[in-house]
Amino acid sequence: MIRRIPPKGYLTALAGVAALIAPLVMNDLTFLMRMMLAAIVVTGLSLLMGYAGQASLGQGAFVAAGALTVALGTTRLGLPPLAVLLAAPLVAGAFALLVGPPLLRLRGHYLAFGTLALLLIVQTAMSAFDGLGGAFGISGIPPFGVGSSIFVGQLPYVYLALGCLAVVLVLTHRIVHSRFGRGVRAFAGSETAAESAGVPVMRSKVTIFAISGMYAGLAGALSAFFTPYVSSDSFPAVESFTYVIMAVVGGLGTVWGGVAGAVLVSALLQVLNTVSSQPGLPPTAGPIMQYATYGALLVLALLFMPRGVVSSLDGAFDRVAARRRAGEPA
Amino acid sequence: MTELFTYLVSGIALGSSFALIGSGFVVVHRVTRVVNFAQGSIAVVGGMLSATLLDGLLPHGLAEPLAVVICGAVGLAVGFLALGRRGTPPLISLIVTLGVSMLISAAIIWLWGQDPVSPPGLDGSTTLLGVTVERQRLLVVGATVLAFTGLALFFSRSYVGKALTASASNPFAARMVGIDVRRMGLLAFALAGMLGGLAGVLVAPTNAVSFYSDLPLALSGFAAAVFGGLVSPLRTLVGGLGLGIAGQLTAGYLNGSYQTEAALLLMLVIMIARSSTFVHEEAK
Repeated sequence: MIRRIPPKGYLTALAGVAALIAPLVMNDLTFLMRMMLAAIVVTGLSLLMGYAGQASLGQGAFVAAGALTVALGTTRLGLPPLAVLLAAPLVAGAFALLVGPPLLRLRGHYLAFGTLALLLIVQTAMSAFDGLGGAFGISGIPPFGVGSSIFVGQLPYVYLALGCLAVVLVLTHRIVHSRFGRGVRAFAGSETAAESAGVPVMRSKVTIFAISGMYAGLAGALSAFFTPYVSSDSFPAVESFTYVIMAVVGGLGTVWGGVAGAVLVSALLQVLNTVSSQPGLPPTAGPIMQYATYGALLVLALLFMPRGVVSSLDGAFDRVAARRRAGEPA
Repeated sequence: MTELFTYLVSGIALGSSFALIGSGFVVVHRVTRVVNFAQGSIAVVGGMLSATLLDGLLPHGLAEPLAVVICGAVGLAVGFLALGRRGTPPLISLIVTLGVSMLISAAIIWLWGQDPVSPPGLDGSTTLLGVTVERQRLLVVGATVLAFTGLALFFSRSYVGKALTASASNPFAARMVGIDVRRMGLLAFALAGMLGGLAGVLVAPTNAVSFYSDLPLALSGFAAAVFGGLVSPLRTLVGGLGLGIAGQLTAGYLNGSYQTEAALLLMLVIMIARSSTFVHEEAK
């Protein structure tokens, strides 16, 4: 990915144009919005899992932190929407900075279960304390807007999310190709080697964890404005597992993997949703297909395409290009 | 005082089931370094199967063991997928088993629907130390004691058990003396499936299970296994009992809905406090 091959630039531009047109021609904007939000979260998760080599099964905890910031900031404190949207990633990032140092002393399996436990504790806290929504959740979140111009309908939210996704991708690209990013990739390979080469391993880990938390918080904030309702049921564990599935399917350790995974998995689920709601099928067909797809995707992707869609396509692309250069028919 | 005894006894019964599921984690992790996320789902399958078999097909005493054996087969299938490719790193295997647990959830909804299921267990209750205890809970404790004794004897006395321990402590040396380490890994998965199934069969009569119970079961089992550093069955038993009692005391004296969270917090604290030991274990 360090070499810039022009055809890939075209692909990026093509994806951008498609993303700009899609909201205008598609009917189901809720689906599109969910997909964008997932892409934002998964880009962060891919950074954490792929580059830093740390797994999180509880990314929903930070999505919840972002959504709560918006819900509480607008309804309880009466802050302007733009201010809470900007504050949400900071709050989620601060939360990650707070829980990161103890959690990241764990690794591998322990970290995976530790983050899952964190998500469940956040869920309980949200349903137990009335200040965080309690049993009824928080409703009445005002629509997003700057000054006197206020968002009407779903379309502006989709474009706002698209803009945020673009910012997140540019930021991720810069992080990955910075000195800091190279250090992070080094300790994913070998912590001892990176440490002895002067990479501050623990601090880098916590930083990456906080960045992925910030992305999740941003997505949570956008979803709180879009839905406009936040409760402890808004962030089920299955959704956090879905982020992992998307990250794995798209390809860990690639900037575009998160987006590719989110688009592919969301599209597949949407198709299945349509199929399972056909008349004549039992009402359990939906959840059966959903779980079966999740499971099958994870198992198949990990066993047969462990580097993910983006890396596999990338490899194929390079091979074709190399063959062309060698003068063989592609 | 009676109150305290009640919480203690029900805590021990609850903790026994944690320990059984936890022992499944331990058996697999010892041999393969993989954490089997599907352990909770297999327990749910065990409970559901025993309910179906007891519904006019087989009498008590036959239905339950059959359910446990089928769970062993499910565990074996999980093992084939998780260890499917040589050189799959353990963390990737964990995510594979997460996928498998979702597949099992799909199968559970397909076969048994989405509602909780509770098979008939032992009826009635007895008085113990002045406390009324449901007989089913005593059965859970008794079965757990038997299962752990069996495990200890199996690992220390039988040839296969020793081969399993050998594969766990030094795979390379085990291969040198002719032990098929991969087959031992699969055997561990099957054994873990049976332990998970046993837990499900025992828990389901008092706490109905649904496809939704897999996560709490897996987490509480993992929490128990954490006490044993994911390698020691005996410390897993102690950890499970501790968690069960702590949970029941929290539920009794504070608030019932914080029971799981108390266990989770305890697990986090133990994991973080012992993290330096884990690094040492993984480096071995």
